[in-house]
Amino acid sequence: MHTIRANKHIWRKVKNVLVSATTFLSAILVIAPLALVFFHLLINGAGSVNWAFFTQLPKPVGVVGGGMANAIVGSLELLALGSVVGVPIGVLGGVYLAEYGSARANSILRFIADVLNGVPSITWGVVVYGLVVLRFKGFSAYAGGLALGLIMIPLILRTTEEVILLVPNGYREAALALGIARWKTIVHVVMKTASKGIITGILLALARIGGETAPLLFTAFGNRFWNHNLGEPIAALPLQVFTYAISPYDDWHRQAWAGALVLVVGIFCINVLVRILTRERKPAVV
Amino acid sequence: MVAPKHILGTFDEALASLRNNVLMMAGLAERTLDRSIKGLLQRDDNLCVTAIADDEEIDQLEKQIDKDGVEVLLRFQPVASDLRRVVSAMKLSPNIERIADQATNIARRARKLNKHPPLPEIELIVPIQAHAMAMFKDSIDAFAREDVDLGRAVVARDKDLDLMNKRASRRLTDRMAEDPKQLRGYLNLIFISRCLERVGDHATNIAEDAVYAAAAEDIRHQTAAVST
Amino acid sequence: MVNLTMRSPDPIVLERRGETIEAATETEQVPLTFQIKDLSVWYGEKQAIESVTMDIPSNAVTSIIGPSGCGKSTFLRCLNRMHELVPRTRMEGKVLLLGKDLYSPDVDPAIVRRRVGMVFQKSNPFPTMSIGENVIIGLRLNGVRDQKFLNERLEKSLRMAALWDEVKDDLHKPGTSLSGGQQQRLCIARALAVEPEVVLMDEPCSALDPIATAKIEELIHELKTQYTIVIVTHNMQQAGRVSDYTAFFYLGKLVEFGPTSKIFTNPSERKTEDYITGRFG
Repeated sequence: MHTIRANKHIWRKVKNVLVSATTFLSAILVIAPLALVFFHLLINGAGSVNWAFFTQLPKPVGVVGGGMANAIVGSLELLALGSVVGVPIGVLGGVYLAEYGSARANSILRFIADVLNGVPSITWGVVVYGLVVLRFKGFSAYAGGLALGLIMIPLILRTTEEVILLVPNGYREAALALGIARWKTIVHVVMKTASKGIITGILLALARIGGETAPLLFTAFGNRFWNHNLGEPIAALPLQVFTYAISPYDDWHRQAWAGALVLVVGIFCINVLVRILTRERKPAVV
Repeated sequence: MVAPKHILGTFDEALASLRNNVLMMAGLAERTLDRSIKGLLQRDDNLCVTAIADDEEIDQLEKQIDKDGVEVLLRFQPVASDLRRVVSAMKLSPNIERIADQATNIARRARKLNKHPPLPEIELIVPIQAHAMAMFKDSIDAFAREDVDLGRAVVARDKDLDLMNKRASRRLTDRMAEDPKQLRGYLNLIFISRCLERVGDHATNIAEDAVYAAAAEDIRHQTAAVST
Repeated sequence: MVNLTMRSPDPIVLERRGETIEAATETEQVPLTFQIKDLSVWYGEKQAIESVTMDIPSNAVTSIIGPSGCGKSTFLRCLNRMHELVPRTRMEGKVLLLGKDLYSPDVDPAIVRRRVGMVFQKSNPFPTMSIGENVIIGLRLNGVRDQKFLNERLEKSLRMAALWDEVKDDLHKPGTSLSGGQQQRLCIARALAVEPEVVLMDEPCSALDPIATAKIEELIHELKTQYTIVIVTHNMQQAGRVSDYTAFFYLGKLVEFGPTSKIFTNPSERKTEDYITGRFG
């Protein structure tokens, strides 16, 4: 009797260890690619990230040196343009879904938004190409910004909606019971309470589109010089990385690594910022 | 009155226990009164002694009822009919206790009377004690059965008892003048008659509390100024 | 059958309000804040309230008691048109506030809610605002800009809610930094700041400890000199302590309404008696 129980005990211990080991290995497998990528980027790109990279324009083809200053600025400009389109529509749409509308219409809208979130980003590029680039007969920052903005809309819409739905109904009731009009309640109480969450959603959307290349291929198109008119083509960091990476020049490869590293670090920073913002949120009411 | 049970079973038990204590106390007081009167009329000293001894138990019950009543108020915060029943029980019990005290007084005086030859005027006591005893029994009945009409009737009968006591006192006072040698005996009889009159007063109080418990009506001090 | 006649309060209650009438008779009329006639409410197909007729006296506390699901909260919310926020509600009957029909088409629900304030079961000070901002938010969002006026009203409301001394140096701190009982008093101050005529309270103490509860009950007692108060409560001892009038609801119907002292010593209806003595099974 005693030995059987002891055997069962040992077998149980072995099982425990096996499962722990397996899950540990799986975790490693998940982190490993991320670590590899970062590591690779660091090794290959760190050396090339220098002052010139941030301040100089690309040199003519074949000449060594130069930087991606215009691409970095261009990306920022495109993000700004995208936000102009994506943030208001996304936030207001999210507010609508959370606060107004009928259950039936809302579930249809949600479904559409979820589908759009899954649409390959190049599709947006094609749509904007057809609607804007062909009509106005030229690539432009506006077109690039529009494409990025369209990607942002369903993203921000869903996150805004979710965060607003999380606001306890008690606050709405309390505000309405004071005789405050419905729209003022939504703006000054509900959205204010959800503000951190809404901003988080916006930041995450920016992080997503910051690295988008495909939609910019035939909308912003890229530019080897400074862009002085938003109706003209504009450079963007991921675009530039793409162009350089498939080129035959070693120097350009080197700069592409640097560009990729900067891109990843930028997105990493945004995510860290999001983390900081979300950690500061204490539970609203005990 | 068949009311549904309280959801809290302990509440029902506490109320039942309180009620049973009141009824038990009343039964003991009845017996004491009965014994003391019989001890007087049948000139039986043993009955008197027993009656005096029973008072102890009745006093203890009064204390118990008060203690239990306060605990019910504290634990269950009763309202409406429950509250009225508890409060009435706590107000009834001192009245029962005093009825028992009056019975004890009667027994003591009976013992004194029994030492001397019997007086014919003892017959005067018989209807008075019957009336008082009936009032007491009915007042307790009114409480037990929550009978409002019976309670009111008891209150009305107190007038008759007072009248009977007055008449007996007058007759006995006359006899005291006529036959001074038996003065002590006649005095004792006068006191016994007054004890019985007081029993009637206490029974009236009990009846008034019973009516309050049953119907939330306060019928005390309602008699217009009828001078007695 | 619904109790239509208004039983007047016992003489002691009349004395407190400064009246000198000595004997209270059945036909005595007291000033009324609300007159409700044949109120019925449906949530979709389900009828929540059935033909309730009742009056709510002014400057007094009326409590509404009854088992869960009997319609007390629904009824309370009809008094400030908050039940309209639930989709698919339907209402019939009249609710008159000082003679004016609350539901007539020319009445703005927001105005109703300013005149009839509400305090909820779970205290809900706005988390993004400080204590001071919480109190005056009702005024500010309704267009009041004068800072001096706002400050005065802030102090007045906090004093009325018996909270001024405790928070006067901490007005900038977040509303959620207070204890549960203080938060509830903050919500009361917030409701009082817009100077309503009525304060509705939906189980205001059910989430509070006994001492906080006692403080709020004391506050209610002070407030009734200036406001009419209607309180829904599960706690019958609280109803007994705090209210002048009590309404007993059961399955959406008003079973009995009358002075609290009568309801709790000698109710007219069997059902009322069975409920308050704990005989419902």
